[in-house]
Amino acid sequence: MIELRELSLTDPEGRWLLRDLDWSVLKGGKWLLTGPSGAGKSRLLRVLGGVEQPRRGTVTVGGQRLWPGEGAMALLGRLRVGFAFASGGLLSNLSLRENLALPLRFLGLPPAQIQTRVEAALEQVGLGSVAALRPHALSGAARRHGNLARILALQPELILLDDPLEGLDSADRALTLALIQAWVADPGITLVLAQEEPGPFAEMIPEHLHLNAPIPSLETP
Amino acid sequence: MTFLARLGAPVRGFLEFLGDQGHLVLSTLRHALLLRLDQVAAVLGQTRLQIRFTGLDAFLLVGGTALLLGAVTLIQAFSQLSGLGAENYIGVLMVLIILRELGPLLTAVLVIGRSSTAIAAELGTMQLNGEVDALVLHGVNPYQYLLLPRWLGVLVALFALVVFFDAAALGGGFLVAKLKYSVTFGFYMDSVRQTLSNRDFVATLLKVVLFAGAITFHACHFGLRIRRSQTEIPQAVTKTVVSALVAVFLIDGLVAALFYF
Repeated sequence: MIELRELSLTDPEGRWLLRDLDWSVLKGGKWLLTGPSGAGKSRLLRVLGGVEQPRRGTVTVGGQRLWPGEGAMALLGRLRVGFAFASGGLLSNLSLRENLALPLRFLGLPPAQIQTRVEAALEQVGLGSVAALRPHALSGAARRHGNLARILALQPELILLDDPLEGLDSADRALTLALIQAWVADPGITLVLAQEEPGPFAEMIPEHLHLNAPIPSLETP
Repeated sequence: MTFLARLGAPVRGFLEFLGDQGHLVLSTLRHALLLRLDQVAAVLGQTRLQIRFTGLDAFLLVGGTALLLGAVTLIQAFSQLSGLGAENYIGVLMVLIILRELGPLLTAVLVIGRSSTAIAAELGTMQLNGEVDALVLHGVNPYQYLLLPRWLGVLVALFALVVFFDAAALGGGFLVAKLKYSVTFGFYMDSVRQTLSNRDFVATLLKVVLFAGAITFHACHFGLRIRRSQTEIPQAVTKTVVSALVAVFLIDGLVAALFYF
C-alpha cells in the first residue's frame, strides 16, 4: 500500500528529519510512528497523504506515485484516504454535516446513501445533536471527533491519524480508542498512526517506526 | 554582473508568476472538463455563493458609483463644451467614456477591492487551517471545488455588474442632460445607440472574460501560497490588489489597442 524509497525530509530550518528512509507498508498493515516532538511524524504523515513534498526520495501509495509527482492529486478518484488532523481540517464555512457529506458527493454516492452514512457516523461519535453547527461553534474535542466521523463516513482504504488522543478527556479518549481499535481489527484498512509515545497503542499496533530528534544539517539539504 | 543578477531575480520571479498563472488556468479548465454530473451540484453551490458575494452584494456600490460617474461626466463635458452644441455629443461622450472604457474598468477595480481581496484572504485562511489539505486528502478536487466556482462566480457577477454599471451611468447622464438641456429619453438613447457598434459589445465581453480570469487567478495564486503564519494574509491581499490592478489595466490597454487602434 505504501512504498518509500530513499525518503529524506528536512524541517523549515534545514535540519534533517529523515535521511534515506526505505519503508513499506503492506495493504491492511497497521503501523505506529513514534518519536519526540519535532521529529517529523506529522510531516511524514502529510508526505504519505500527498500534501507535503519530501526533500527527496520517492513515495508510492496505493500503486500511485505521489512524489516526485503531483502529490495527493494522483490519488483523487483512485484511493480513499482518511486523515485525522491534530488540529483543524474541517471546512469552516460548512456545517459539520456538510463537512462529512462533501467527500462523499465527490465520490459520486447517491444522496440517500450519503445521508445514511453521514448520520450514522455522526451518531457513532456522539455528534448528532450538533451536526448543523459550523466547526468554530464546536469544542476542540468535538472538532477532533468530527475528523474521525468524516473518516467513518468515507470508509477509506488508508487511514492516517495524527496524535489522535492529544487534549482529550478520559471519555473522549475511550471513544477515540474504540474507533481506532475497530479500524485496527479491519483487515481491509491500512492504518498509520503518529503519536509521541506508544501509550495505549503499544499492544494494539505491533509494528512501530521510531523517528529520532532532528539532526543538524552538515550538508546543504 | 551584479547588475544582471539583480535584474535577473525579479524577471525570474515574474516569469514564475506567469507560469503559475498559466498552470492554474489550464489545470482549472482541465479539471472542469473532468467534472462528473453528480459533482456539479457541489460546484454550483459554491458558484452561487461567489455570485451573491461578488455580484448581488455589490449592486448598490456599483450602481451608486456609476450613477454619479455618468452624471459627473456630462456635467464636466457640458461645462467645457458650453455653447458648442454639447447636447449633440451626448451619445458620443457616453459611449466613448463610459461604455467603452470606464464601465468595465471601474467595475473591475471595484470587484478587485471587494472580491479578489476576499478570495485571497479566504484561501489563505483555509491554507493555514489545513482546510485545503483536508479537501484534497479526502478526495475533493480543489480545482473543481475552490477555483472553478470562484472563477465562474466572478465571471457571471462581473458581467452582470458591468451591464448594471453601464445602465446606471447612462441613467445618471440622462438626468443631467434632461435638467440642463431638457433632452428627451428617446433622443438621449438614440444618440447613444447611433454611436454604439457591435465591436463595442465584443470588446466589452472580451474585457469581462479576461478581467474575471485575472481577478480570480491572481487572488488564488497569492492566497494559496500562504503557508506559515497569519501575517502572510495581509501581504497576500496587498499583492493581489496591486498585481490584479496592473493586469486589469494592461488587459484594458491591449483590448483597446486591438479593437480601436
